[in-house]
Amino acid sequence: MSAQETVFAVAAAGIQVAVVVMGAPYLTGLMRQVRARMEGRAGAGVGQPVRDLRKLFHKEATRPEGTSVVFVAAPLVMLASAVFLAAVIPFVTTVAAVGGVSDLFAVVAVLLLGTVALALAGLDTGTAFGGIGASREVTIVALVEPTILLAIFALSVRVGSSDLADIVAGTLASPAHVLSPASLLAAVAFAVVIIAEAGRLPVDNPSTHLELTMVHEAMVLEYSGRDLAMVELAASMRLALLLGLGVNLFAPWGVATTLAPLALLLGIVMLIVKVALVGVALAVLEVFMAKLRLFRVPELLAGSLLFALLAVAASYFLA
Amino acid sequence: MTLVDVGLALVAGGALAGALVIALIPRHVRPLISGLVTAGVGVGGVLAGVGGLSGAAWTRVAPGLLPLGEARLSVDALSGVFLLLVGAVAIAAGIYGIGYTADAPHHENPAGSRTTQATVPLFVASMLFVPAAASVTTLLVVWELMALTSLVLVLTEHRLRPSVRDAGLWYGGMTHAGLVAIMTGLVVFAADAGGETFEALRAGAADLSPAMRSTVFVLVLIGFGAKAGLVPLHVWLPRAHPEAPSHVSALMSAAMVALGIYGLIRVGFDLLGGGPRWWGLLVLTIGAVSALFGVLQASVATDLKRLLAYSTTENVGLMAIGIGAAGVFAADGNRALAGVLMAAALLHALNHAAFKTVLFLGAGSVLRATGLRDLDALGGLVRRMPLTTALFGIGALGAAALPPGNGFVSEWVLLQGLIHSVSEGVAASPVVAVSIPVAVGVVALTAGLGVATFVKAFGVGFLAQPRSTAAATAIESPMPMRVGMGVAAASCAVLAVAPALVGGSLDRVLNVLPEVRDTAPLADSAVTLRLAGIQGSMSPLLITVGLVLSAVLVAVVVRRLAGSAPRRVVGVWANGGPERNSRQELTATSFAEPLTRVFDDVLRPEHDIDVTPYAESAYLIESVTFRQRVPDRLEAAMYPPLLATVESWGRWSRRLANGRVHRYLAYGFIGLLVALIVVAVTS
Amino acid sequence: MSAAVSTQLLDVISGAILLTAVLTLWRRDLAAIIRLLAIQGVLIAGLALLLGINEHNTELYLAALGVLILKAIVLPTILRRVLADSGEVRETAPLVNVTSSLLAAAGLTLLAYVLSGPLVALAPSAATRALPVGIAVVLLGFFMLVTRRRALSQVIGFLLLDNGITTTAFLATSGVPLVVELGVSLDVLLVVLVLQIVAARMRMAFGSTDLDGLSGLRD
Repeated sequence: MSAQETVFAVAAAGIQVAVVVMGAPYLTGLMRQVRARMEGRAGAGVGQPVRDLRKLFHKEATRPEGTSVVFVAAPLVMLASAVFLAAVIPFVTTVAAVGGVSDLFAVVAVLLLGTVALALAGLDTGTAFGGIGASREVTIVALVEPTILLAIFALSVRVGSSDLADIVAGTLASPAHVLSPASLLAAVAFAVVIIAEAGRLPVDNPSTHLELTMVHEAMVLEYSGRDLAMVELAASMRLALLLGLGVNLFAPWGVATTLAPLALLLGIVMLIVKVALVGVALAVLEVFMAKLRLFRVPELLAGSLLFALLAVAASYFLA
Repeated sequence: MTLVDVGLALVAGGALAGALVIALIPRHVRPLISGLVTAGVGVGGVLAGVGGLSGAAWTRVAPGLLPLGEARLSVDALSGVFLLLVGAVAIAAGIYGIGYTADAPHHENPAGSRTTQATVPLFVASMLFVPAAASVTTLLVVWELMALTSLVLVLTEHRLRPSVRDAGLWYGGMTHAGLVAIMTGLVVFAADAGGETFEALRAGAADLSPAMRSTVFVLVLIGFGAKAGLVPLHVWLPRAHPEAPSHVSALMSAAMVALGIYGLIRVGFDLLGGGPRWWGLLVLTIGAVSALFGVLQASVATDLKRLLAYSTTENVGLMAIGIGAAGVFAADGNRALAGVLMAAALLHALNHAAFKTVLFLGAGSVLRATGLRDLDALGGLVRRMPLTTALFGIGALGAAALPPGNGFVSEWVLLQGLIHSVSEGVAASPVVAVSIPVAVGVVALTAGLGVATFVKAFGVGFLAQPRSTAAATAIESPMPMRVGMGVAAASCAVLAVAPALVGGSLDRVLNVLPEVRDTAPLADSAVTLRLAGIQGSMSPLLITVGLVLSAVLVAVVVRRLAGSAPRRVVGVWANGGPERNSRQELTATSFAEPLTRVFDDVLRPEHDIDVTPYAESAYLIESVTFRQRVPDRLEAAMYPPLLATVESWGRWSRRLANGRVHRYLAYGFIGLLVALIVVAVTS
Repeated sequence: MSAAVSTQLLDVISGAILLTAVLTLWRRDLAAIIRLLAIQGVLIAGLALLLGINEHNTELYLAALGVLILKAIVLPTILRRVLADSGEVRETAPLVNVTSSLLAAAGLTLLAYVLSGPLVALAPSAATRALPVGIAVVLLGFFMLVTRRRALSQVIGFLLLDNGITTTAFLATSGVPLVVELGVSLDVLLVVLVLQIVAARMRMAFGSTDLDGLSGLRD
């Protein structure tokens, strides 16, 4: 790549990060607003999460006594991993500044890194809530790993590579493959993965304050001020990243394959539109779902594992 | 005088002279000398390893040294990588041992005894000669030496705990059963191939009948698999590794089990020259079961060292998955994939050695500082022992296979090898189509459970508040222990960001094995790992740099937006509940409870609940005691019947000895007659 | 002497050795058995002497002298002393009765002939053709060891075994090095001395030297 292209690619990555960072709270706000309206409430408005973040940034940050550097560093690690992923996942363009960072296995692992950081922070608080949240979160994450990796496997068979840019470019090149059995099964499995990783209903209720039902909320109970803002922003970004990832893997139309400014603009617009649509659909579905008991979640995850396994088998036998 | 000459001479001379010196010097000097000798022997191993990896073949013969034949040594690239591995672990463990085996004031440390201190260098030396052995006799002799020295070391603390004797018995029994299997397999191989040197075996392997080759392979798999800790011959691992002194645990867990893998690769892929597909499938299956069972047991273990021991079984299972899959693809003719998978297995052996050493040395530091191995009683060590916590964290990151740790790199290569087994348009055989997705699923579940395990080990053991006074009064380890851990952690870090450093050497290793010769999978790697023959690249260095840059960016922006006022320390909120005490914290048992429930059918934990009411009224409870035990269900299913059968044979055979001298003489006479008749008839 | 004469003499001596071995199995009288053993010792010494003359080997002369002293004089003397101490006169009720013993002896001799076929084929000569005798005596000695009750009979069986080995050695390879011969002879002497003590002890403890009495020692 020429120097000019590298600069453009880096700029494109920076644009991606800006879009995701700024758009994620609005996505969360949109989803909450849709839920509120459907439940017959007025709702706080689409921009409420942004207002909340601004408020939190000005509030005092506290640290419970007895916690260590892990508690303080975890929000940073979470947010850093989210920002890193926003830069490397091909949301707007498939042209990457550097090679070797957008492998799907690596992306999934960095997401896991963020989860682990928060779980350790939960344990560090030394409270029962933090510990319970951490224990439930790692159980869910452990059980969803096989589904993720098998779904990646199914997706990579078609293209012969697990690099995200290759997969997206391959789907763009031959759109009909999206409707192949392997792809559809993998899409269903991936939907469950998104729900589990982002902590949405029916796996986890993001708006609960009852300890019996908390997973993510339990781990962030002791945070305040800028730390809480970072954690909340990171959580919204993870949701946006996962939805964007799902959208780009299975419906990548609009993603630019070059660095032309017009293509990039189209890419940004299409990204926002697609993610907003999927987010709204998810919010509508959540209205009609109740949270599953924690010990029913493995059944759901086993079902998604079955779908992923079938996807792989389909890609083998119907290749 | 090549590097290998220098290295092995240092190993042999250093160990023998060192052991003698250590046996004679007074107690207070012993830790320093023993540690330095062990580290020196390790340096010799590293030198020999580097020499071997550079590709030049090296052979030495010492006729008359061993009773039944000559001692034959040969170092090629495959030996080189394992020499390097064992030597590096020995350096870290040796330096660590200087601090660990020192006596505490008013308290004699059993690990500082003459026997233990003198045996450690001998153990390392015998381990280092295993990859260098080039004839059946030499291999068996050094293998047995390794087993005997390690048994002595496992029994170091036998006066303190009865479980040590139990561990020694199981370990001694199983390692010798493994030796019998290896000996039978190799001797049968040598008899049929017409010579006992490895060259003769290689040359004669082609003339063996398929049934004979398979017999040899299965026997060797049993023997080396028992040493490596593959299921179902893993039962000695969770007993022996926790009971040994911690630097010995690190040597056994990181280096000795790798030699089991070495033996499997050497005999299966090199001497036998590969085999039919079912060999690879067998190894793959055993590896998958080991990986899953090991990590499951680790995720519910509350004894820190037992957790690490089961984690070793898990990682050896992953290595076996790589080797087995390589065998399957090599038998099918897909050499490029076989090369990738074999490289993944070797890279994982190196990575495992690095992070397992850090973890066991860290566990040893904790044990020395608190006297505790039980995670349910630890905690709060991040403030009392910050450096140990940080280094343990690096090891835990590697063991959990998360970026930027080193375990992630080898797992990525393994997954790449597995997922490229089918490409568009190429029909896959049904066997591959079923086994490979299952293997990927197993690797994934193992990775997920591994994350849970090490979040538990690190989070419960080191963070939050101490759960016992011993943990509350811990002090940081002395300097040598920190340096030893630091050496191992540094190698973790190097392997994490620059795995391409060993890439070229691994390609040379693959050239030794006929089925994957000239595949050079890691040839194009530099900053980015690029796998030859398949499309896939990942750059651990760039990912790490990216994460660091993002963190810096985020920190800067947040500081701009929110200021940098220091955080006020407040009481913990905890839902506005009562005064906080350490009893409210989650323990390791409770952390693993959801997983225990999900896998209840496999784990089948045993619960004991004791309710003590007040004397005055049976309705008022004074205290409740809850005890949970997760026994090893595979062992409980397989070993008691086996042991009962052997015991019943023993009881029956007492009837053979009825006290009459004539009968005993008759046994001998009839035996002689039968032998003579058989000889007469068959010749 | 000429080859024909020495071959005949060799065959006669070998046959006599085998005959004495069979007679030991037949006779019940312990004193007679000891006498037969002494005769066998003389015959083996004669064998060695004959081979020495044939091959002009002085070592064999020395070996013959040693065998004569040990097997024909020293050992029978010790055995007679044991016999006198024990006060027993005959071997009563062996585990396998005399008729069956003789049949077994025949079978074992045949086996010895079968076994030594390949050995003789390695280096055919007058001496090696008599090899089956040596092996037969070994087997007969072992058989006696296994089937006789009295401690003294067992010692005699052991000595017969050793005689058979010595004969085989002389016939196959013209003896073993003198040092080895010396060592083995010393071992045999020691064994007999020890067994003498054991027999005396047994008599004190059980009143007889029937080995089956030892079965009371098992748990």
